[in-house]
Amino acid sequence: MSETSRNGPEEADDASVIERSRRDPEAFAEIFRRHAPDIKRYVVRRLGPDAAEDVVAETFLAAFRQRDRYDLRRAHARPWLYGIATNLVGRHVRDEVRQLRVLQRTGADPVTESFTERSDERVSAGALRRSLAASLAALPTGHRDALLLVAWGGLTYAETAQALDVRVGTVRSRVNRARKGLRKSLGEVAPAVSKSEESIRG
Amino acid sequence: MKELAGLRSEVPRPEPSGLRAEEERLRAAFAASPAAAPAARPWRRWSAPRLLVAGGMVAAAGAGVLVTVNGSGEDGDGRDGRVVHVMPVAAERVLTKAADNAGRSRELRPRVGQYLVFESRSMNQVEYNSAAGHARYLSRTHRKVWYPVKGTSVDGVIIGRSLEPRPYPGWPIPPEAREQAKEPGQGKPERLADFDQRAPFLRTDYAYLSTLPTTPAGMYEHLYTQLGHGPAADAEAWNRVSGMLREAYLPAAQRAALFRAAAAIPGATTVGTARDAYGRTGVAAARTNPSLGFREEYIFDRETYQYLGMRTTVTDAAKAKAPVGSVVASSALLKVEVADTAPSPVARRGPG
Repeated sequence: MSETSRNGPEEADDASVIERSRRDPEAFAEIFRRHAPDIKRYVVRRLGPDAAEDVVAETFLAAFRQRDRYDLRRAHARPWLYGIATNLVGRHVRDEVRQLRVLQRTGADPVTESFTERSDERVSAGALRRSLAASLAALPTGHRDALLLVAWGGLTYAETAQALDVRVGTVRSRVNRARKGLRKSLGEVAPAVSKSEESIRG
Repeated sequence: MKELAGLRSEVPRPEPSGLRAEEERLRAAFAASPAAAPAARPWRRWSAPRLLVAGGMVAAAGAGVLVTVNGSGEDGDGRDGRVVHVMPVAAERVLTKAADNAGRSRELRPRVGQYLVFESRSMNQVEYNSAAGHARYLSRTHRKVWYPVKGTSVDGVIIGRSLEPRPYPGWPIPPEAREQAKEPGQGKPERLADFDQRAPFLRTDYAYLSTLPTTPAGMYEHLYTQLGHGPAADAEAWNRVSGMLREAYLPAAQRAALFRAAAAIPGATTVGTARDAYGRTGVAAARTNPSLGFREEYIFDRETYQYLGMRTTVTDAAKAKAPVGSVVASSALLKVEVADTAPSPVARRGPG
């Protein structure tokens, strides 16, 4: 588990590894190696480091237990894992919203306080962060999930739809509505808003 | 949108070391997974077509995984010859369930420099000769010990309190036994031990236990380090398990592997119910030691399968000099926690 490289063309795809792990459970460690760092960062950004440890452990335990049901036609396990993680994050929704409200009210973010050595770059954007937090906290859960899978997880709309087990159209409308809400609140603090469209993974 | 993508972007993508806890819990699940049953590789190597045709059934009944105890240990401790242990596939049920559940509880994450603190109760047999003749009784203690996360018990601290003694079944309590409870030093921190003569491979500090194998076969090999074959070796392997349970804490992956390995020790059986030294009732895995006339039982919570304690029950009245079924030793692990510091020992325990 010491390598951190993404799986290149020479490596077996996730589906083959999962298929192998059905006979040889240890093989599933490769799925962990490939995806745990990104999943962890995503969950920490939503809940903070304390809750994230449990959520990420549970995510991979759940994935491991469900490996027999994984659809092997899907070469990449990313959407599947983000979907499980997002479901588990949902159990902490009150905590997530509470921490966003703290950021909104005080400008201090309980989620990132243990990463303070990197704080310089965010100090200047206090008002912006506070209104982003307010908008995120106000979103319905399903909308926040879709928006953050795209914005923080780096998933495409199609992958987000897979992760949340909804149609692509549903993801598109949720993300668009969430963005509109964000733009509106941002307009009050930062008139010049980036119009960059959905992120596409390379 | 850029602003949102920047929110909390200072959260770093963790290094593998930042995912250790999660990985350990996953690896515990590997060890607990039915598909992880050993045997997969060794029996495939055998060329006898009959075995291959019979497939899993024969493998499960007769084979197992070949485990070798290294002839020349890397630490150069001079073991002679290679001893091959076959880990049986047959497994005791309670320990197997304990392995299945090893990853479910929240993990402690002690760091070097910290202490693991164990609070427990124990009841042990005391036997001696005095002017009044041969005496036996059961001494009872409530103890809290601070073990360094890395190091020997010499660096540990204990706060102990004697409880009312109990009679050894069929024997009167000698008057001296009650005096013990009034000895000075009760409830004060003391050094845990003046020396620790355990072999290096029997260390039970967390730093060492964390380096043990995470596979059942690997842990089975560890339990039989420097042991031969036969009932005496099996009894000692079973006994070594107690050292890793009583006042020790293993990472979940090693814990699961330990339970699975112990479940495969020849002679391991299931005991319906058993009571620990605190009076808690659970289910137990046990192994009878015929040469001593005792059954050594490891007790687990019947629902969570968390380790509760252990108990020694008489199976041979003549050898144990007590009625069959009576309990001659027990313990209960009440609490395990992590502390940054340990109390300073105030005085040395007097002789005896």
